Amino acid sequence: MKKLVVIGAGMASGRVLEHLTDADPDAYEITLFNAETRGNYNRIMLSPVLSGEKTYAEIVTHDSDWYAARNVDCRFGEQIVGIDRETKTVMGEHGPVPYDKLIIATGSAPFIIPVPGKDLPGVISYRDLDDTNAMIEASAKGGNAVVIGGGLLGLEAAAGLALRGMSVTVVHLNGHLMERQLDEAAGYLLRKDLEAKGISVRTQATTRAIIGDGRAEAVLLEGDETLPADLVVMAVGIRPETRLATDAGLEVARGIEVNAQMQTSDSDIYAVGECVEFDGNLFGLVAPLYDQAKVLAHALLDEADAFVVKDVATKLKVTGCDLFSAGDFAEGEGREDIVFRDPARGIYKRLVIEGDKLVGAVMYGDTADGTWFFGLIKDETEIDDMRETLIFGPAFQGGDTADPLSAVAALPRDAEVCGCNGICKGTITDAIANGATDLAAIRATTKASASCGTCTGLVEQVLQVTLGDEFVLPTAQPVCGCCDLTHEDVRRLIKSQELKSQEAVWQELGWKTRNGCHVCRPAINFYLLADWPVEYRDDPQSRFVNERKHANIQKDGTFSVVPRMWGGITNPDELRAIADAADKYNVPTVKVTGGQRIDLLGVKGEDLPAIWADLNKAGMVSGHAYSKGLRTVKTCVGTDHCRFGTQDSTGLGIKLEQVLWGSWTPHKVKLGVSGCPRNCAESTCKDVGIICVDSGYQIGVAGAAGMDLMETQRLCDVATEQEAIDVTVAFVQLYRENAKYLDRTYKWVAKVGLDWVQERIADPAERARLIAAFELSQSIYRKDPWAEHAQTQAAQYQPLADLTLEAAE
Amino acid sequence: METLIDTETRTFIQVTEYWVPEDGKLKLAGGNYGDLEGFASASGQTSFEKGEGLPGRAWAEARPVVFKSLTAPEFLRADAAKAAGLTSAVAVPLFDGETLKSVLVVLCSDSEERIGAIESWRADDGLLMLDDGYYGAARHFEFVSQHTHFPTGQGLPGGVFAAMTPILMRDLGASYAFVRAESAGRAGLTTGLGLPIPVPTGAPYVLTLLSARGTPIARRFEIWDARDAKVGKANEAELIDGICARDGPLWTAEGDPPRRVAAWQGLIGRVLGTGLPVVEKGAAGIPGGYDSMVAVPIHSKGELSHIVAWYS
Repeated sequence: MKKLVVIGAGMASGRVLEHLTDADPDAYEITLFNAETRGNYNRIMLSPVLSGEKTYAEIVTHDSDWYAARNVDCRFGEQIVGIDRETKTVMGEHGPVPYDKLIIATGSAPFIIPVPGKDLPGVISYRDLDDTNAMIEASAKGGNAVVIGGGLLGLEAAAGLALRGMSVTVVHLNGHLMERQLDEAAGYLLRKDLEAKGISVRTQATTRAIIGDGRAEAVLLEGDETLPADLVVMAVGIRPETRLATDAGLEVARGIEVNAQMQTSDSDIYAVGECVEFDGNLFGLVAPLYDQAKVLAHALLDEADAFVVKDVATKLKVTGCDLFSAGDFAEGEGREDIVFRDPARGIYKRLVIEGDKLVGAVMYGDTADGTWFFGLIKDETEIDDMRETLIFGPAFQGGDTADPLSAVAALPRDAEVCGCNGICKGTITDAIANGATDLAAIRATTKASASCGTCTGLVEQVLQVTLGDEFVLPTAQPVCGCCDLTHEDVRRLIKSQELKSQEAVWQELGWKTRNGCHVCRPAINFYLLADWPVEYRDDPQSRFVNERKHANIQKDGTFSVVPRMWGGITNPDELRAIADAADKYNVPTVKVTGGQRIDLLGVKGEDLPAIWADLNKAGMVSGHAYSKGLRTVKTCVGTDHCRFGTQDSTGLGIKLEQVLWGSWTPHKVKLGVSGCPRNCAESTCKDVGIICVDSGYQIGVAGAAGMDLMETQRLCDVATEQEAIDVTVAFVQLYRENAKYLDRTYKWVAKVGLDWVQERIADPAERARLIAAFELSQSIYRKDPWAEHAQTQAAQYQPLADLTLEAAE
Repeated sequence: METLIDTETRTFIQVTEYWVPEDGKLKLAGGNYGDLEGFASASGQTSFEKGEGLPGRAWAEARPVVFKSLTAPEFLRADAAKAAGLTSAVAVPLFDGETLKSVLVVLCSDSEERIGAIESWRADDGLLMLDDGYYGAARHFEFVSQHTHFPTGQGLPGGVFAAMTPILMRDLGASYAFVRAESAGRAGLTTGLGLPIPVPTGAPYVLTLLSARGTPIARRFEIWDARDAKVGKANEAELIDGICARDGPLWTAEGDPPRRVAAWQGLIGRVLGTGLPVVEKGAAGIPGGYDSMVAVPIHSKGELSHIVAWYS
């Protein structure tokens, strides 16, 4: 195994080890040196530890168990004597360690201003846990503290020491606090907030000396003012810690120079974190260090990656001070400011715009939109369209939202949530209290949402109201466990990537199984044949048994046979043929169906091809009573016989059935045509239901009379029979092209909205396209599967072996 | 698998309840009485005029009120309290500007083992002085506290006052300001939660709950920030700090997605939605391992600014 030596157990190298050991735990034998006597902890959380708002234990990132689990040999508290690049050895105080690859992650050292008294006891820099503990100890005696440096670190130290009960003065060289991150206005508000916390601030103040007899007692400023100080904290800045690298002869400028793979001038030595210089940049905030860590881990595993410098945002961890700054907010030619101030609330926001892009943002008092602005800066979003309202943030762009859950919260316990199973809210909340904390568990324990599923959203909202953020609202459901994509995504990708075979879908859409499962195969088969009717051939092996056998299997294993009767019209020859077939094949039950057909129930599987052939001879074809496709077109007698009939409803029904039969759809499709509003054909609960009136045809869609009873919604009214046929075909094709497999039309329309459907159907070009697409598909599928199977595939309907005969012999 | 609930048997607070104004009177809106059914039933039958009883006084005086003995006529439910063994109580009025939203009342029973502190601090010329407090058996700490004051920005009370933000202190023995640290450590007080209590007139009070290991006020504390300045216009709250005896620190590190809830989403969401406290026992939505929770809204500068919650 290759040997990796890491010098420095800070946040950057810690992240490298995480990535490395997660990706390949056996890639390297790791030795980790650290000057501190402890491993990696979250250094940026030292301020709350100083203030007492957190404990050290809370900010430990890697404890000894973590290192042990990864076989990292920890040599903490051991100084490095040197690096011998010739022999590729790191010389530790307690002995040498050879390396194949070496990481230098020595971080940074505090900058100590060279004034008299800087080495007195009582003068502390602020960099690590030891410094923090020294400050906590010093603060226990109370007294006065002077913090030199009004940057991020100095102010956090000042706030912490104040909370610990010290009287604190901040001495800052510049005109306003945090001048690198804030402009004057924000700096002013920050100063005001700190002064309200009892912290004194001196800006434009230069430290001349730290004075005291044997230990720090006061800070002497330019102008001879002295500030009493039992504790002096030096927080004026940091510089990369490069001594080891320099001694080893690596190229060092302000920091250790690295390339985009974090490699130093020696190809076996890498550097990461605050000690490096890349492309002239030094790094002090955590986000780029984590980016570097990822790149370095990849480099160690010979994977390609490159570090790029990105903008970073700054936040101050002082309780009660909300500030945010990102990007570049210096004044300059071609730059414009948008400023918002609310003096009463102590709010200041400034956006800096260059051209049509946001380049900088400073906020004080209200930082809620900081992340959004940061995103605009990073992504270089064009902001022209929202310039007027930009400063008010994203909520203003999209409008305000009400509390969507309040209505659910207000439901009483006895309010019914699941209509199918009669489950009320109280039953569901009781089940949640008893441990059913997700949708599947609610379904299993209460049956709520387990039938038609229309109440799923409501049940999920009850879960949200009851469990809070413990309940994670599932994002869109994938088709099945074979993939991560939703039905909608799969449909979109089949079209856009022109996927025309199952293999193409499995491969290009990253299926996790070899060729799908019983859940996804029927759906994918349908999507492919609906989108690519000519190129894709229907796969019977991806169909349910009823569709494979072209007959509905009954509970005793026999089948039902339903010949098609166009529009519910039949004649004596057909009836004789049905009667003869019933006799010939000993059909025990002959039933008239709700869809105006005759059902022969109890036909043996092996008799199917023969009975089909007999019915074919009488001119009858499959009624598709088993398919996810057009089932029946139910009609009344219309103007031919009825006194009230307004149009030829039977004739229209027959024509519709002759156009639509044989087509595959996401779920079954039933039609009805009634000759007048008395609606004898019950058209108002069909997928497409047409009511004839004197002026023409009222076309309703998305009805159902199953688990859910849904009345049709009016799609449109048309004047002529041909238009009625065109609209129906276009609607069915739109459903075929867009719906999720096994969504009835009412579920699909509820998802896409009737308005959307109406718009598409009303557009003449789109309607023509839909009709043409449907016709193309029907050129393949408008044929009788019975005839085809009776002639060519009769053998597959025979039993595999006749065991009764064998036993008799 | 169900999570085992390892609730401490001895807690510092026996009863938590909250009262809301309705038709000019305070009426009981919720509470956790544990097994003190008699006291629960007496409470359900009581209401308070402004100025009447403990909650009524907190309303009238617009400040937290401490009763170190529960005797009539000041304490209306004296008989029921005596029967339940309750001896002390603190009432905290929760105002939204001029309007009283609710009065939170906690009741305790004295015994030598019960250590903890519920204190109310008032600001007086830039200094926070103890207004009143209940300390159980922590008498030395009580004495020290009575003779302590905090400048703005210093110690837990001064820090809360200066930041107008609830603050959670982890290790009181070492960090609760040098003056009281030694005594706090000796009394076994570990965790401190301080919250601002804005009132219609004058400066806000600061309420501090100091919890000891043996008889904790709670074993999980959370602070949620709901200010527009933090979460924008969405009626949501973000968890900004918390500590849990089971899960450890609850804050999210820089770069990790913050934990947020929307109004009505769970129990914290209910506080956001109603603007009222939530006091629940055995309810769904209470984190695993805990049996009861108290969540208190703080209304400041015209908005629900923070929610503090504690669980046991």
